[in-house]
Amino acid sequence: MITNFDKLCGDLEKQELEAPTGIASPSTYAQLLAIYLYQNDLCNAKFLWKRIPHNITSSNPEIGAIWLVGQKLWKKDLPGTYQALAAYNWTEPIANIIRALEEKIRERTLNLIGRSYSSISIDTIVSMTGLSKDAVLHVCRDRKWTLNEDGVTVTPTPPTQPAPLHTSSEDQLFKLTEFVSFLEN
Amino acid sequence: MASPLEQFVNNVRTMSASGSFRELCDVIAKSDEVLQRNSAHLSTVLETLDIQQHSLGVLAVLVAKFTVQQGATDVDKSTMYQQIHDFITNCNGEQVRFSPELYTELCHQLTNYLIEIKQPIRGIEILKKAIRKIQLFDSHLTSIHADLCQLCLLSKCMKPALEFLDTDITGIGSELGGNNDSKHFLLYYYYGGMIYTAMKNYERALYFFEVVVTVPALVVSHIMLEAYKKYILVTFILHGKVLPMPKYTSQVVCRFLKPLSAAYYELATSPHAAVKHREIFVRDKNMGLVNQVLSSMYKKNIQRLTKTFLTLSLSDVAARVQLSGPAQAESYILNMIEEGEIYAMINQKDGMVVFLDSPEKYASPETLCVLEQQMAICTKLHQYIQEMDEQIQVNPQYVKKSVGSHDEDMPATSQNSKTTYSM
Amino acid sequence: MFEMNTAEPMQVDVPPEDNENNETESYIVENPTLDLETYAAAYTGFAKLYRLMFVAEHCPSLRLEALKMAISYVMTTYNVSLYHTLHKKLADAVASAGLPDVAVQMGSQDIPVLDTIWTESKTKKAAIKLEKLDTDLKNYKTNSIKESIRRGHDDLGDHYLDCGDLTSALKCYSRARDYCTSGKHIIMMCLNVVKVSVYLQNWAHVLNYVSKAEGTPDFNEVPGKDSNQSILTRLKCAAGLAELATKKYKSAAKHFLAASIDHCDYPELLSSNNVAIYGGLCALATFDRSELQKQVIGSSSFKLFLELEPQLRDIIFKFYESKYASCLRLLDDIRDNLLLDMYLAPHLNSLYMQIRNRALIQYFSPYLSADMHLMAAAFNRTVNALEDELMQLILDGQIQARIDSHNKILYAKDVDQRSTTFERSLAMGREYQRRTSMLILRAAMLKNQIHVKNVGRDTGPQSGEAPGSSTSLTPRTFDTVPL
Repeated sequence: MITNFDKLCGDLEKQELEAPTGIASPSTYAQLLAIYLYQNDLCNAKFLWKRIPHNITSSNPEIGAIWLVGQKLWKKDLPGTYQALAAYNWTEPIANIIRALEEKIRERTLNLIGRSYSSISIDTIVSMTGLSKDAVLHVCRDRKWTLNEDGVTVTPTPPTQPAPLHTSSEDQLFKLTEFVSFLEN
Repeated sequence: MASPLEQFVNNVRTMSASGSFRELCDVIAKSDEVLQRNSAHLSTVLETLDIQQHSLGVLAVLVAKFTVQQGATDVDKSTMYQQIHDFITNCNGEQVRFSPELYTELCHQLTNYLIEIKQPIRGIEILKKAIRKIQLFDSHLTSIHADLCQLCLLSKCMKPALEFLDTDITGIGSELGGNNDSKHFLLYYYYGGMIYTAMKNYERALYFFEVVVTVPALVVSHIMLEAYKKYILVTFILHGKVLPMPKYTSQVVCRFLKPLSAAYYELATSPHAAVKHREIFVRDKNMGLVNQVLSSMYKKNIQRLTKTFLTLSLSDVAARVQLSGPAQAESYILNMIEEGEIYAMINQKDGMVVFLDSPEKYASPETLCVLEQQMAICTKLHQYIQEMDEQIQVNPQYVKKSVGSHDEDMPATSQNSKTTYSM
Repeated sequence: MFEMNTAEPMQVDVPPEDNENNETESYIVENPTLDLETYAAAYTGFAKLYRLMFVAEHCPSLRLEALKMAISYVMTTYNVSLYHTLHKKLADAVASAGLPDVAVQMGSQDIPVLDTIWTESKTKKAAIKLEKLDTDLKNYKTNSIKESIRRGHDDLGDHYLDCGDLTSALKCYSRARDYCTSGKHIIMMCLNVVKVSVYLQNWAHVLNYVSKAEGTPDFNEVPGKDSNQSILTRLKCAAGLAELATKKYKSAAKHFLAASIDHCDYPELLSSNNVAIYGGLCALATFDRSELQKQVIGSSSFKLFLELEPQLRDIIFKFYESKYASCLRLLDDIRDNLLLDMYLAPHLNSLYMQIRNRALIQYFSPYLSADMHLMAAAFNRTVNALEDELMQLILDGQIQARIDSHNKILYAKDVDQRSTTFERSLAMGREYQRRTSMLILRAAMLKNQIHVKNVGRDTGPQSGEAPGSSTSLTPRTFDTVPL
C-alpha cells in the first residue's frame, strides 16, 4: 500500500507534463485528482478537473465520481461528501487514496468540532462525520467528550496540540548569536 | 566565392571555436536577412552545426526558420517542437546568454505555436528548463517567465509556475527593458497575479497586481487597466476597502485608470453594483472574483462582530450580517473557524456563539521558530539592500556626480579638507 | 426600514448621519416655540430675509407670518426680484393652506397683495441710482483720487447688495482692494467680502478673507480698542460659521468661543444667541472633559453668552456633571427650534450624535464592566438600540470594550500587551518584507528602464514627441489578454 502520496503526486504531475501530446493517461488523471483532494488542495483539483479532456472524463466514470466528491468538499457540504464517497465502487489504486481521504476528512472534521463547539447535538456530529450513531458515541468516548444528561448533546473538548518540536539549545544559541551580530553591525 | 550562407556557417564555426561570442553576436545580427532569404536551406545548415558547440549559430538559424516571412503564408512547423526541445535541452547556456533577445524570441515562437495548436501544457516543461538555463540566479526575471505563466493559465495547470512566482525578483534580464517595450514585464506580473488569484493566494496576487499598476508609465497600457481592476477586487477581498496607492504610482494611473474602473469602486459602497454592472464584470471576465468579493464581505462583517461582541446569538449574527438564518450563520462561522479567520465557540444548545481572542499566546517554541524565520528573511533583505547601497557608492557615475556637485557647492580651498569637513 | 436595507445590506450598521443631506430638503418642524418677531428683530439685511425664508420653508405653522415679515422687510430695499419670489411663495402658501380658519384668523385683508406700482418705481429708482453711482465712479477714476474711487466701489457694492445682486456686489467690494490706502481700509474691504461670501455660502472665500484681515499688518493698531474688538468678533463669528458649514466643528467651536459679547453686534450675519448656541453645541460635540471645563464652563466671556441661552447652559452643565439622561432630554427639547436655524439645521444630527457618543464614552470610561440595562436607562434608549450604538463606537475604536449580548453586559477589553506586541511586530515584519522586496524590484526596474511608453508598432514618426503630449489616454493595443 502506498502511503507517501506527496511523492506520488510529484511523479504524476511530471507524467502529465511530459506526456507527448499533452494528454496523460486516465489513470494518471484519476490518481492525481484523488491525491489533490487528499491534500485538501481544492484549487488545483478544480483546475485539473477542468483540463482533463472531455473524451477521457466521459469514458472514465471514476474520474467524474472523484470530482463529485471534490465538488462537495468545495461547497463544504460534509454529508454530501460522505454520500459521494460511498456512492461509487472504487477500484485500486484509487480506492486506496479514497480510503485515506475519507479518514482524513473525518479526522479534520472531528478536530474542527472540538475547536468550534462548546455543545453540539449528536445528530449534527452524525451528519458531519458520516458515521453511524453508535460509532459517533464510540468516538466521543475515545476523545473524552462528555454526553450531556439530556442524551442528545455532547460537550466536545479541543483537540490536544501535537507535541512541540524540539530544538537543541546549541542551535538556538547559534541563531541568537547570528541575530545579535546582525544587530550590532 | 562562397555564398553568404556558407560564409555565415564558416563564421559561426571559427568564432565559436575561438570563443569570440560577442563578435559572433554582431555577425548574427547582420545575417538576419541572409538567413531569411535562404529559408529553404536552413535545415541543411542545421545539420552542419552542433547544438552544444555552435549554440548561438543554431539559435539564429532556428529563429530565422520559424519566423513567418512577409509574403510567405506559412512556415513548416511540424519539426518545431522537437527541434526547440532538443536545442533547449542541449544548448550551451553560457553561449546563449550572449544573445538573450534571440533566445527568448525562440521561446516566444514556441509559446505562440503551442497556443495556436491548443496544446499549451506541452510547453511548460521546456520553458521551465529554458528559464533555468539562461538565468544567472534564481531571482533573475527573463521575458520567458511571462510565456510560462501564459501557458500555465491556458492549460489550467498552474502549479508549475509557482516555483518561479514564489521567488521575489531582484534582477531583470536586459531583453525586458531598455528600448524594448515592457510588455513581457507587465504580462509576467499580470499573469502571475491571475495565477495567485486562481490559487486563492490573494496576498501574493495583490503584490503582483500592485507591481503592474505602479510600473512607471507615461501612457496607460491595457494590461495595466486590467490589472488595476483586479487589484481593486483583490483589495476588497483582503481588506474590505480600497487602500491608497503607493506614492510612486504614475500620475496617469490615478488620472485615467480610476475613471475607467468606476464600476469596481462602486462595489465598495454597495453590493448592488454587482448586479447593476454585471455586464461590465462579465465582459471583463471578473464576475468570479466579484462573487468572491461579495462572499468575503459577509466574512468581513462577521469579523467585525467578533471585535465588538463577546457573545451573540446565531440569529443575531444572521440578522446583523444579513444572512438567511441561524443555520447559514452557523455554517459561515464554522468555515471561518476552520480557515483560522476567527476564533469562536458555537453552543448549539443555546444557539449562541462566544467570540474568543486569538488563542495564540506567543509563548511556544513554534513562535520562536516563526520569529527566527521571519527575522532571517528580514536580515537577508537588509543585507541585500546594503549590498545595493555599496554598489551604488562605488558606481563611477554616482561618485562623479556626487563629487561634482560637491565641488560646485564649495569651490576653491583644498580637496582634502573638504571631505573631512563634511564628515 | 426596507429602504435602509436595500441601501446598505452589506454594512452591519448604517451611520445615521449619512442621511442628513436628504433631510435638509424635506423635513417639517411641527411645534416650534419660536417667537418669530423677536427672532427676526435680531437680524438685518439678507440674514433676516434668508432666515425668515428658511423658517417659512420648514415650519408650516409659521409660514404665513414669516413670509409677511419678509415681504414687509424686502420693501425697504431695492430687491425687486426677491419681492416677486416672496409673493409667489406667499400665494402658494395661502393656496395650499387654504384652511378657512386660517383665513378667518389672519383676516384676508392681512395678506399683502402684489404692488406693481411699487415694483415699477423701485426698479426705476434702482436704475437711476445705479447710473449715478456709476458716473460718480467714472469721474473719480478720471481724477484718480484713490480714496474716492474706493468709496465709489463700496457704494456701488452696497447698492448691488440692496438690489439683491450678490455676485456684482462681491465684484465691486473686491475691486475696492486696489485702492485701499490703510490697514483699516483693507479690513473694511475684507469684512464686506466676507459678508457677501457668507450670503453666497462660499465658505472657502470666507476663511480666506478672514485670515487676510487678521494678517493685515496694523490690524492690532487700528485706533480705538473697542472697534478693534468688534472687528475681531465679527471675523471670529464669520470664520466659525464657515467652519461649521464645512463640518469642522471643533475649530468652529474655538472661533465662536473667541467672540466677545460686548462687541458682538453683527446683525447682518448672526445674533449673540446664535454664537452661544453654535459655539456651545460644537464644543459639547468635540471637546473632551478638560477642554470643556477650561474653555467653556470656566470661560468668563463665554459664560455671558450662555446666559442668553439658559437651556443650553443647563445642558452643558448636566453633561459635565455626568447627568446624561436629563442632558439628552433637554437637548431633545430644544431640537425643534434649532432645526429652524438655517446654518445649524444641516449639522444638527451629526452634532447630536457626536454629543451622545461622547456621553457614552465618558459614561463607560471608569468601568470594567457595565450593565447595559442600566446604561440604556441612563441614555433613554432601548437595550437593543444601545447595543447598536456601542457597536459602532467599538468599531471606531472610541470605546475599548466587548459586548456580551447574551447577558447584556459591556466589558472593558483587557488588552494583552505582550500578545499585541508580538502580533504587531510580526505584522510589521511582513510589511517590511513586502515593501523591501517591492523596493528591490523597483530598483531593478529603474535600472533596466522598465516603463510604459509610447513605443509601439505605429508610433514611429511620433517618437520625437514631448513627454507632455503622451499624457492623453492612448491604450496600447496589446494582444488580447487570454483568460
